[in-house]
Amino acid sequence: MNLSLKLGASALALTVATTSASADGHAAWWKEAAAPYEGVTIRGVTESSPPSQYIREVLAPEFEALTGIRVDVETTSWDQMFDKGIKDMEAGTGIYDMVYIEQDIIYSYLARDFLTNLTDFLGENAELQAPTYDEANFTTFADYFKDGDGDLYGVPMEAFLKVYLYRKDLFEDSEIQAAFKEQTGRDLAPATTHAEYSEIARFFTDYGKANDLELWGTTAQAHTGHVASWYEYYESVAPTFGVYNWGIDANNNFAASVANGGAMNGPEAIEAMEWWLSMRDIAPPESPASTWTEVGTTFGAGRAAQGLVYGENAGWIAADETKSLVVGKVGVALPPLADGVKAAAEAGDGYIGYYDGGAFGMPHSSKNKEATALFLQFIGQNEVQPDWAVAAPRVTHTATYDDPKVVAFNEELGGYYDLIKDKGYLFAGAPAYPFHAQVREATAPIFYQILTGDLSPQDGLDQMAAAAEATLTELGYRK
Amino acid sequence: MHSKRLGWIFLAPTLTILFFFGVIPFVYVVFVSFHQWNPFAVNPDMVFNGADNFRRIVFDQAFLNSLGVTVLFVVFAVLSQLVLGYLLAQAFMRDFPGKAIFRTIHTLPLIMAPIIVGSVWKLMTTPSIGIIPHYLDEWFGITMNIGTSAVAAFTTIVIMDIWHWTPLVTLTLIAALVSLPPDPFEQAQIDGAGKPQIFWHITLPMIAPAMIATVFIRLMDALRTVDEVWMLTGGGPGSATRFLGVHIFREVFPKTNYGYGSTISVIVLYLTIVACWLLYVTMLAPRTSRRSEED
Repeated sequence: MNLSLKLGASALALTVATTSASADGHAAWWKEAAAPYEGVTIRGVTESSPPSQYIREVLAPEFEALTGIRVDVETTSWDQMFDKGIKDMEAGTGIYDMVYIEQDIIYSYLARDFLTNLTDFLGENAELQAPTYDEANFTTFADYFKDGDGDLYGVPMEAFLKVYLYRKDLFEDSEIQAAFKEQTGRDLAPATTHAEYSEIARFFTDYGKANDLELWGTTAQAHTGHVASWYEYYESVAPTFGVYNWGIDANNNFAASVANGGAMNGPEAIEAMEWWLSMRDIAPPESPASTWTEVGTTFGAGRAAQGLVYGENAGWIAADETKSLVVGKVGVALPPLADGVKAAAEAGDGYIGYYDGGAFGMPHSSKNKEATALFLQFIGQNEVQPDWAVAAPRVTHTATYDDPKVVAFNEELGGYYDLIKDKGYLFAGAPAYPFHAQVREATAPIFYQILTGDLSPQDGLDQMAAAAEATLTELGYRK
Repeated sequence: MHSKRLGWIFLAPTLTILFFFGVIPFVYVVFVSFHQWNPFAVNPDMVFNGADNFRRIVFDQAFLNSLGVTVLFVVFAVLSQLVLGYLLAQAFMRDFPGKAIFRTIHTLPLIMAPIIVGSVWKLMTTPSIGIIPHYLDEWFGITMNIGTSAVAAFTTIVIMDIWHWTPLVTLTLIAALVSLPPDPFEQAQIDGAGKPQIFWHITLPMIAPAMIATVFIRLMDALRTVDEVWMLTGGGPGSATRFLGVHIFREVFPKTNYGYGSTISVIVLYLTIVACWLLYVTMLAPRTSRRSEED
């Protein structure tokens, strides 16, 4: 089912749900609470992604019909979204009443005191507290949007894992299995170690060449001029080798270099880089120009046998026949790991990959806080979640996993929701750095030079560690 | 006296807009350029640091690299546009079948937003998907990958810019050629001058002001190119296409290094003015003064 059909069906389902809500009195509550703000327009800015489109096309109109509060959701590119939101909050102009907060930027926003404490705000305005909204309904992903006191600053609206996707149809093909066994001496199954992953990747790249197929053994989000490649390495590859938090030790004067106590240029980081580059070299030719979007497209076009893919793309790859050529042929698994990494993650001392997502927050500069608080609660209700999860694969509420529609959809997704539910705790969001973009931008140009071969992994990572420490010193975090 | 006042009244709205949207932001950027200011630093306030930013820029390898590739880009792109634009303008001065259709098609790139141009070229050049690498491989056995080859990425951007902006040069030069009086050409032909002599001694000098004005416009545009490059390569591979505009964008927006980013902007503005001034004093001013002497 394509996204527009799903959105239409969801709108219908939500209308029914709203009508039912009307019967049990909740609709009356929304109308009454919103009465003082009828005719007000609230504005939000977010990334143009399926979950955000669902808000704009389904939830916002429903809320508008229910309350008379107009919701204007602007969906734009990832860069523009941040640019617009930050400028607005920095200048305090109040253009936006809601801003999308990606998990990795929340610490910068909190450090700059851009956001309203939603827990406090609703506590102080009891008349705005919706009976169907409860912070306890969220999954633990909501913890990323809380401060040290446990107060919430953003209503989670999307959460994904960057997962290991593989082609079930290829992995289960008896001829391919036999060929793989003959070549490697072991059974073909999703990799659990980097060596296994490499072996499978090489096998399928060779298999594609030998059979004149447009098929390669792995994806690689390895753009040589876009931060997507930097993210793939630091979020999804380095942690699987035991390099966490970009190799920066926040408890040790924000050291990045091994010489100062960091791990950014340590042996594990170098090994991770070399392994990843070796995978990039046998990935489809478009990989050096691929961001997260193109990696999804590559996999959806059936050009890769396995890869690390963002969950927001995993949904359409696995289930949307209008966009994907591999519907029903996709399996999900945990990423390949170095020895000891899984145990460290289970003990809470590390993580194995990226738990991505975002929330809608309310800037201090908003001029319509009451109306905005109502809308944020509206999209944070359990009731609206199942259809949303089917239309745009994301889960932010514990109860969503058990909804029959979601259970059925989970099958189509190859068990993706089960993976989030059961193994999500092994993944982690970005480190709690208020200097996220600053250090990324300081190191990324050097990172690209490693990708182009102008610098060796060792030299490049040495330079990156030095650049990170220089930037942290300049910003005042490193003394 | 009355007409002077009327002139100021007519100019007032423009000057007011220019003051608020041109002068004040410029003064503010200059002011910020003398500060260290990153809102995500431990101290998010502006801190005056004298000429530190300007001193830093001289030794900033990333900036110098950006400056180098930008100058190369400007030289290749603008010169090519000038030559191609002139040849096309001359072609359009003659009649040939389908001229009207061809002239319309030829100007179409001009109406496209740079970000769209970047998107279209990205689709055409993405390795293994794009039409250009596909046919380069199929017809000539050439592997083109703008994600790995600095030369391929740079060349593609130059060609993209030529494709996008040559029509502007053509249109300007057509206007200049149309306005040329026929007498000097007829006289030259009677005197037995050949085509190269006519071009060098009559056509070129007479259209030089229009040519230089076009070069000014294209030079300033090329120096601030961002959108197309951002969309096509993001400045990569490595820093091969990280032109000044892209460098400033990355410094100011994602990195939120407002102080240093403003310094780079001021320096780039200064360099643009110097480049235009050099063009003026070496090419246009001598002609103007010669004409004054002749008069």
